[in-house]
Amino acid sequence: MKNSSTVSKMHEVNPHIPKNFMVVLVIGFVLLIASVFLSLSLGSRMVGLQEVMDGLFRQDIDTYEANVVRKRISRTVFSLFCGAALGVSGALMQAVTRNPIADPSILGVNMGASLFVVCGMAFLNISSANQYIWLALAGAAITAVFVFGIGSLGRSGATPIKLVLAGAATTAALSSLVVAIMIPRSHVMDQFRFWQVGSVGSATWDGITTFIPFLLIGIVIAILSAPALNALALGDAIATGLGVRIGILRLVAALGAVLLCGAATALAGPIGFVGLLSTHVMRLVLGPDLRFVIPMSAISGAVILTISDVSGRLIGSPGELEVGVVTAFIGAPLLIILAMRSKVSSL
Amino acid sequence: MKPTHLFEAEQLVAGYDNKTVIQEVSLTIPSNKISVIIGANASGKSTLLKTLARLIKPTSGKINLDGKSITKMPPKQLARVLGLLPQSPIVPEGISVADLVGRGRFPHQSMLSGWTKKDYEAVAEAMRIMDITKLANQNIDELSGGQRQRVWIAMALAQQTDILFLDEPTTFLDITYQVEILDMLTDLNRKKGTTIVMVLHDINLSARYADNIFAIHNGKLVAEGEPSKVITSSLVKDVFGLDCIVVEDPISGSPSVVPIGRHHVNNAYTP
Repeated sequence: MKNSSTVSKMHEVNPHIPKNFMVVLVIGFVLLIASVFLSLSLGSRMVGLQEVMDGLFRQDIDTYEANVVRKRISRTVFSLFCGAALGVSGALMQAVTRNPIADPSILGVNMGASLFVVCGMAFLNISSANQYIWLALAGAAITAVFVFGIGSLGRSGATPIKLVLAGAATTAALSSLVVAIMIPRSHVMDQFRFWQVGSVGSATWDGITTFIPFLLIGIVIAILSAPALNALALGDAIATGLGVRIGILRLVAALGAVLLCGAATALAGPIGFVGLLSTHVMRLVLGPDLRFVIPMSAISGAVILTISDVSGRLIGSPGELEVGVVTAFIGAPLLIILAMRSKVSSL
Repeated sequence: MKPTHLFEAEQLVAGYDNKTVIQEVSLTIPSNKISVIIGANASGKSTLLKTLARLIKPTSGKINLDGKSITKMPPKQLARVLGLLPQSPIVPEGISVADLVGRGRFPHQSMLSGWTKKDYEAVAEAMRIMDITKLANQNIDELSGGQRQRVWIAMALAQQTDILFLDEPTTFLDITYQVEILDMLTDLNRKKGTTIVMVLHDINLSARYADNIFAIHNGKLVAEGEPSKVITSSLVKDVFGLDCIVVEDPISGSPSVVPIGRHHVNNAYTP
């Protein structure tokens, strides 16, 4: 009797769902819609709610404002997708390395993608998103394998601290290579400079269509591996005891992270810190359960990148400040706070 | 009652990198009983447990569960029979008791199925057995060492395995909590028939709580059997290098080791 009452109580207030999950979900969607509206309406040309609605839903209206809104649609969609990809990619990398400060930019994956894109620009005369994406993915994947390989050397395997060190060293080496390739080639420099800062402004529907399959595959991988990653969070030994094939799990989850971040980097350039910001906000309000943190990081990543893009447009008006600069400004202080707070033992 | 299993290791050799730690150990775990692995520091007792619990791949030899090699069984299927609580698991920051215990249900869930009624019941039962139901929504960081260890054991219980391996479950705990944890594990064994295999540091608590002792010295199994037969002053000398006398524990009747040091020794026992 006592037994069944405990069980039914567990169903009422389910302690296995973060207690404020519904609130966070609702707020997340509200912010998402708000950021879409802001992205469509704000910029060097301010547009009101009515014009946004006209631009979106009334094809017959052909005012200047309505056309401005229409021009901003692709940019908005892309920043949402790109932010979601970076958010989930960050969550995956943190889970795989069991390191709270992992992020595509910290593990060097971004820089690997950049190097390949630069090589493509310099040696193969590549200039379209559809071609960047494959180069960036290859670069991201090779760098991830390389960093993982270096980080796994030695007796204790791929520990979080070794992975981060390997990532930092690789980033340093690759970024000097990027500079070495660029400096003597002024035509590449111009093309690359804009890409390198990280921007969602140049998004095209073609680019977005190329991006979508990678986003979907990456997110499916992330959601399916979340329960196993939850087990991995308790340590390799516990995870093995729970029946997780930890080697395969790490590989698959890292692959998902590389797909997401490589594809986003190919189209937008290396945008840092979104993966870090979006996941930490979610962990703060939801706790560490990755079944909730991973999907919600997609939403928070989308909101953060879109709002950052809008801020960049406002700050840089009448021109604009690239979104990569904005995220770095918000993200760098956060990284410092996290690095100071994070227990050394957990590394 | 949990079903009977035949868990046996044959000519087991294992270690780290090129260093062999376990040397040709063959043993059979008595089903539905409590077995304790004892040995000095660096004797290989923990390595043996880790190898049996498939954390370390043996260099040679076999580990069979009911006649099947555990390395050939699907890991999730094996995890429904064989549970493990390692020595220093990681506590994710901000995790709640219920979340942590619930993660023990992983081997019972498929990739797409969410939480079923069975999962909730198993978690509720595990928390009740370890008496932590009231703590369900608390953060692990807020708990005492003894409570924390009960949470980890509850996680292993939620896994509902027939066999449970524990690597020094009482280390770093006050004596009160050591006894509490061992009592709870004994309850589990007596009520459910769960086979328990653990490494313990304290030889007297081992002698009291074990049905069966495995004594390890330099990576070799040097003695096994009931504590009353195995724990002798000559074994303690061999395994731990300690002079002692073995008396009867007045509380339990099990053997109890009284060490002989260099000081504070009555003339009668001076070597």
